[in-house]
Amino acid sequence: MNEKMMKEGMEIIDAHFKGEGVSRRDAMKMFGAGGAAMLLGSGVPTQAQASSSAKGKILIVGGGLAGMATAAKLTNTLDNPDITILEPGASSTSYQPGQTLVGAGLWTNEDTEYKRDDFIPSGAKLIKESAVEFDPDNNTVKTSGGQTIKYDFLVVAAGVKLDFSRIKGLGITDTITSRGDDSAVRKIVGQNGIASIYFGNGGTDTWTQMQKFIADAKSGKKVKGVFTHPNTPIKCGGAPKKIMYLTDARLREAGARDNADLTFYPNGSAMFGVPEYHNAIQKQFTERDMKWNYRHNLIAVDPKNKVATFNRHWKEKGAWDEDLEEYGIDLKSKEVEVPYDFLHITPPMIAAEEIAKSPLGSTKGWVPVKKETLQHVKYKNVFALGDIAAVPMGKTGGSARKQYAVLVENLISVMEGKEPTAKYGGYTVCPLITSIGTVMLAEFDWSKKPTPSFPFDPTQERWMWWLLKVYALKPMTQYGMLSGRA
Amino acid sequence: MKKSILVLTTAAAMLTIVGCGSKDNAGGEKVTYAKTSAEVYTQSCYKCHGDKAQGMTEKKTPPMNDRQAGELELDLYDVKNEGTNQSSGTDHDKMAHNMKKLFEKGFDYDPKSMAMYIEKNFYINPHKKK
Repeated sequence: MNEKMMKEGMEIIDAHFKGEGVSRRDAMKMFGAGGAAMLLGSGVPTQAQASSSAKGKILIVGGGLAGMATAAKLTNTLDNPDITILEPGASSTSYQPGQTLVGAGLWTNEDTEYKRDDFIPSGAKLIKESAVEFDPDNNTVKTSGGQTIKYDFLVVAAGVKLDFSRIKGLGITDTITSRGDDSAVRKIVGQNGIASIYFGNGGTDTWTQMQKFIADAKSGKKVKGVFTHPNTPIKCGGAPKKIMYLTDARLREAGARDNADLTFYPNGSAMFGVPEYHNAIQKQFTERDMKWNYRHNLIAVDPKNKVATFNRHWKEKGAWDEDLEEYGIDLKSKEVEVPYDFLHITPPMIAAEEIAKSPLGSTKGWVPVKKETLQHVKYKNVFALGDIAAVPMGKTGGSARKQYAVLVENLISVMEGKEPTAKYGGYTVCPLITSIGTVMLAEFDWSKKPTPSFPFDPTQERWMWWLLKVYALKPMTQYGMLSGRA
Repeated sequence: MKKSILVLTTAAAMLTIVGCGSKDNAGGEKVTYAKTSAEVYTQSCYKCHGDKAQGMTEKKTPPMNDRQAGELELDLYDVKNEGTNQSSGTDHDKMAHNMKKLFEKGFDYDPKSMAMYIEKNFYINPHKKK
């Protein structure tokens, strides 16, 4: 199909559904099942699998999307795969992009739940424990159950941990994973107007809290919604804004938008690293009367009085710097208190301490790799991908989807005694939900320019991308990525 | 409704054929730099970060000889772009300001090649100090 035809076809589709809509059941049926069947069929854009007789014991730490997809592709490619996966979480493979939709009451948590055990590639060995000690000089990993595993090649795909403990006043001391035991956090986050879609049950609780917030607005009360974004890299950089767009949409649906004040408080000073998307988002915010206040980092919450405390920071002209031959800048900050009725927290995110502090970690914790080949900077038999890899920008499933194919090719090269040559270009994608029924498909890479896969203006919100986000990406992940096919 | 289903099926087919981002767009044009990384370092960076990238306490500058290229590149990329995430911001506000001024004076560089230069010439492996 040529580009012009596709463009025309898709414009028609976009226009068609904009007015008419389609029931969820029908869309799910056609788009999901149809899309999945397509992926499995002959139209799949995967290259013919080259098989390899390379040998070696491969240990994969982490059985989330990135780790499982890697395991599957290795299994498909190697003649004699010897793969062990370390993953303690029974629902580690779950479809986390759906949590935003759960938070707005569009999906239920069951829609996002995948069982780890359903996705273990045949032949791969699963150990239901976590890695607690790394000795890459001797190629061993110690597990939480006390086993010492010797490997020839190691893939680190352990993801991020959510660190609510950095926010004072919540009484949380432990870090949690996005899917797993969240009881320490759920006691407070998900109650009394505080919410977070960043963990499994958090989505469900967000919807409960959001409904109360909307009911208050509907009853005539003037209410304030506060949405945060921390000073660490985060997975799915768009989600803090998506949940705000969806709150706006639900308020409008209820006819209560006028009584609610919605403000985004990010630590940074932009909506997006890509100027085109930044501008589009600011425009969308303005159109919806959604406010923003840059350079605010959430440091404390008083759940009883419903007050959030932020570190507001700014730059001031500093002293003359002789070496620079310019004026430098001074950094200033002060604490500001913001009352809320509904507070959506995006927690600080870190690499698991046992990895961050091991020889595999780095000053900031993330596993340092050569960003194109995903090979560890120090250890040639170690690779990392997904959220824990120290690459710029993409902590998204879309990045992992590009990375695992590159990683497998390179790992096999190294197993065969060759240099890794496959390159990841930094591609990532953020399907930014801007209302119920519209999405801006923000695709980009390290060039910080939009890199659209489709011949459209990528800064426009479209119903078409809503369909992609809500109906197609999940089966694509399930049948394409988790089986190592696409 | 029949028409909707037809249109939707076509859409699904198109999407899966094209794939979400299955094209690897190179994205952006190749940038060329007036000076090599070595020139930028020896004419500018050394003033505040030291001639061995060891950092200078009196200037409150961090060392850059303690990290390998892959890791250092991420920091340089962050400084240059004032952050690597959508709205997370950066720990490098000061240097981001300084770097902008230095670029205006012609000291622009490619983070990857600069990171490699620093590793090659200054990196001290902490694990090898025995």
